[in-house]
Amino acid sequence: MNLKECYAALEGDYEDVIARLRSERLVQKFVLKFLNDPSFDLLNHSLENADYEEAFRAAHTIKGICQNLSFTRLYQSSHLLTEALRNGWSPEAAQLVPKVAADYQQTITAIQTLQEKMG
Amino acid sequence: MNQMRNKTTRFLKGSLILLSIFCISVFSFLAFYMNKRNEETITEVGTIYMSGISEQISLHFQTAMGLRMAQLEALTATIPPAGDVDAAAIRSTLAFNAEARGFDHLAFFSSDGTFDMVYGDPVQLYHPEPFLDSLNRNENKISVGTDSSGNRIVLIGISTNYPMADGKECTALVAGLPIEYISTTLSLDKKNAMMYSHIIRKDGTFVVRSSDEYRNTYFDRIRSLFRELDSDNAERYVSELETAMAAQKDYSNVILAGDERRHIYCTPLAYSEWYLVTVMPYGSLDEIVNHLGRQWIGLSLGSCLLVLLVLLLIFAKYFSLTRQQIHELETAREEAVRATKAKSEFLSNMSHDIRTPMNAIVGMTAIATANINNPQQVQNCLKKITLSSRHLLGLINDILDMSKIESGKMTLNSDQISLREVMDSIVSIVQPQVKAKHQKFDVFIHDISTENVCCDSVRLNQVLLNFLSNAIKFTPEGGCIQVSLYEEPSPKGDSHIRIHIEVADTGIGMSPEFTRKIFDSFSREDTARVRKMEGTGLGMAITKHIVDAMGGTIQVESQPGKGSRFHVVLDLERSSMEEADMILPNWNMLVVDDDMQLCESTVASLQSIGVKAEWALSGEAAVEMIDNRHSRHTDYHVILLDWKLPGMDGIQTARKIRKHLGNDVPILLISAYDWSEIEDKARDAGISGFLSKPLFKSTLFHGLKQFAGSENKAKEPQEELQDSFDEKRILLAEDNELNWEIAQELLGELGLELDHAENGQICVDRFRQSPVNFYDAIIMDIRMPVMNGYEAARMIRSLDRADADIPIIAMTADAFSEDIKRCLECGMNAHVAKPIDIREVSRLLKKYLK
Repeated sequence: MNLKECYAALEGDYEDVIARLRSERLVQKFVLKFLNDPSFDLLNHSLENADYEEAFRAAHTIKGICQNLSFTRLYQSSHLLTEALRNGWSPEAAQLVPKVAADYQQTITAIQTLQEKMG
Repeated sequence: MNQMRNKTTRFLKGSLILLSIFCISVFSFLAFYMNKRNEETITEVGTIYMSGISEQISLHFQTAMGLRMAQLEALTATIPPAGDVDAAAIRSTLAFNAEARGFDHLAFFSSDGTFDMVYGDPVQLYHPEPFLDSLNRNENKISVGTDSSGNRIVLIGISTNYPMADGKECTALVAGLPIEYISTTLSLDKKNAMMYSHIIRKDGTFVVRSSDEYRNTYFDRIRSLFRELDSDNAERYVSELETAMAAQKDYSNVILAGDERRHIYCTPLAYSEWYLVTVMPYGSLDEIVNHLGRQWIGLSLGSCLLVLLVLLLIFAKYFSLTRQQIHELETAREEAVRATKAKSEFLSNMSHDIRTPMNAIVGMTAIATANINNPQQVQNCLKKITLSSRHLLGLINDILDMSKIESGKMTLNSDQISLREVMDSIVSIVQPQVKAKHQKFDVFIHDISTENVCCDSVRLNQVLLNFLSNAIKFTPEGGCIQVSLYEEPSPKGDSHIRIHIEVADTGIGMSPEFTRKIFDSFSREDTARVRKMEGTGLGMAITKHIVDAMGGTIQVESQPGKGSRFHVVLDLERSSMEEADMILPNWNMLVVDDDMQLCESTVASLQSIGVKAEWALSGEAAVEMIDNRHSRHTDYHVILLDWKLPGMDGIQTARKIRKHLGNDVPILLISAYDWSEIEDKARDAGISGFLSKPLFKSTLFHGLKQFAGSENKAKEPQEELQDSFDEKRILLAEDNELNWEIAQELLGELGLELDHAENGQICVDRFRQSPVNFYDAIIMDIRMPVMNGYEAARMIRSLDRADADIPIIAMTADAFSEDIKRCLECGMNAHVAKPIDIREVSRLLKKYLK
């Protein structure tokens, strides 16, 4: 699996990210770093503690990273979650959290596959 | 309001009348008073004048008589009564001398009252007693008598002792003059004089009467003048006059004789028992004074009228002004009442709409609590609660939106958007609902030459979604929904493009009455069919406001039972973004769709990107055309097939084509529907790929590009970014490690030196501790723990440093105009949205770095 296939698997926009960052090596380096990003854990943690302000910030951060890395699918769900949490908890958020989790899992799985392929 | 108007009117009228009455009374009083004063003044003046004249006349009388007496005395002095001269000689000398001095008569007067005539007619006295008394007392005296023929004579006597004819000594020498002498001397007889005089005795009898007088006494005259009138008055005057005469005093009075006023002045005369009565009729004087009075009254009335007229004018003007004001007030009040009514209606509608789902939530919660041990029941309740809360939330969101719009706080972003993307996303959103209701859904794009425009994409989406969700909601299963998009030149000029969006359905439609008020807040057609649908009734109002804010128009056509058509016209600015050179190889293509319009517009779009294309309206016709070409060895390079075709559908057609042509030619399926369900089947049938409607130029280009192989590669902007910011130091606040690394990587390429601050607080501290002008700019994430970007920016701006005005650029995933506004309010210079676009950042840095 190469980087392009990885992007296809996580439903991102490969061309867009290459156009912006202009180096496959660089993109790959950042993509792999995404595995260690704490934002998603922070999101889960703050949701458990009902700290919706922090959860909003975490969702916002995930959205920002996805924009930077053109993870389109995860961007869309995290964007919706961010908006749902902007003014505190809302019923939409309840539906969106599992969606974000699923998309995050899909993204992580794709990146992990890429990592394994590269050894 | 009417009451107030009446009150004002009444007040105005009342004060006008009052003022008029006041004015008239003041002027009348003035006129009356002045008239009265006039009369009094005349009387006063008359008194002064009369007393002057009377005095003069009496003086004149005194002088004239004095002179005559002096003559007589001189006579007696030259001819002494005693001596040796004989009596006859004395008499002749006296007579000679007296005649020479103009006396008509001369006589010696004995102490017993008999005359011894020296010459002239014998005379007789009227009232000898007082005359004799005075002469016997050695006084000089004047009296009146008659001669033998009855002519009245003035007799002047001086005491002396001449011998008389009978030998006795006389007591006085008396000289006579005709009575006319007095009236002539005193000019009492002058005709046409303003006044006339009489001389009377104490008992009122005349000594000298003015020529027209015939009565015996002056008192009779007064009485007769008053006979027809009040005789008491006459007696009063007479007695007053008598009293004054007895007291030897002057008497002055104005008596009224008929219409005429006369002034009487009475004064005693010297050397006699006589009184001078001077009368002045006020006739002519009164006339002059009355004329003056009339003039004065006229003038007063005139000025009064003038004042009243001016008052009336002022009142009329004031009245009309007041009326106007009242009218304006009334209008304003009506407006306020209408607004209040609208608000309260809005509120009551809103409350009602909120109560319904709220009731459901409360009720379901109660039911769930009661059935807590029945999981199925609880689940059912929770499901209903979820539905109701979602509806409630939608309602509240709409209300918030509406209040934002109504308070004028709605702002429009101007994003660069692609109509293709907008339509794509709309289609993908509504697809599931359309599918669920088994409705036919079509999207038509006609000749769109300008895909990229400037518009608020979120709001545009909202408008389209609202139309579409209404269409889906009010169209029964199996109905048809159509979205069309076409453009035409904008009247705003070349920089703009006019976009027409039409959403048509075959739903339940609307009555004409409702069509008219569809854009009002909280309006929903109140029919049984509609009532069971959920909705806030605000959607259309919001839509209308958004379209209005964008400067566009909405038209509605609808017929109950037939369906509705919404037509939005927007003038959008063409995006400055350059459309990439979209050129495909010089292919021959075939487009197959049952809609001729779509075929034609797709062919036109394809031609504009360098592809020659033909079209067919059915699968059968397409297969025939392909066979024709195949036999001539000029196969189509690419074939576009609609999925839903009448007769043979897209997949069957593809299968047939593959059978005839083999697998070399790419066949793409075009569809407005989600193809995930048919994907496997389609792949099996030999479909090489999918294109989703609407077919924009860019959709076609991007969809077909992959089949062009390596022949054509879109130019990538590789070789720009010559900008370099060597030696420039940037402080970058970003809490996320990964985002920081990406930013570092990208910005590092520009030659910038970057320092990392993990949150707003650290950023502020770092900046505070750095030497002045150490950093050239700050790039600030907004959402950070500990301290967010807004606060950090504010703190930096408030620092007491020479470089507290350092450029601060916000960098955040939010791109709402509210956020941007807030960034600027917090003192930041600019805002750039994530993902980091190196060109945008470099452009901004170039702008703000010195």
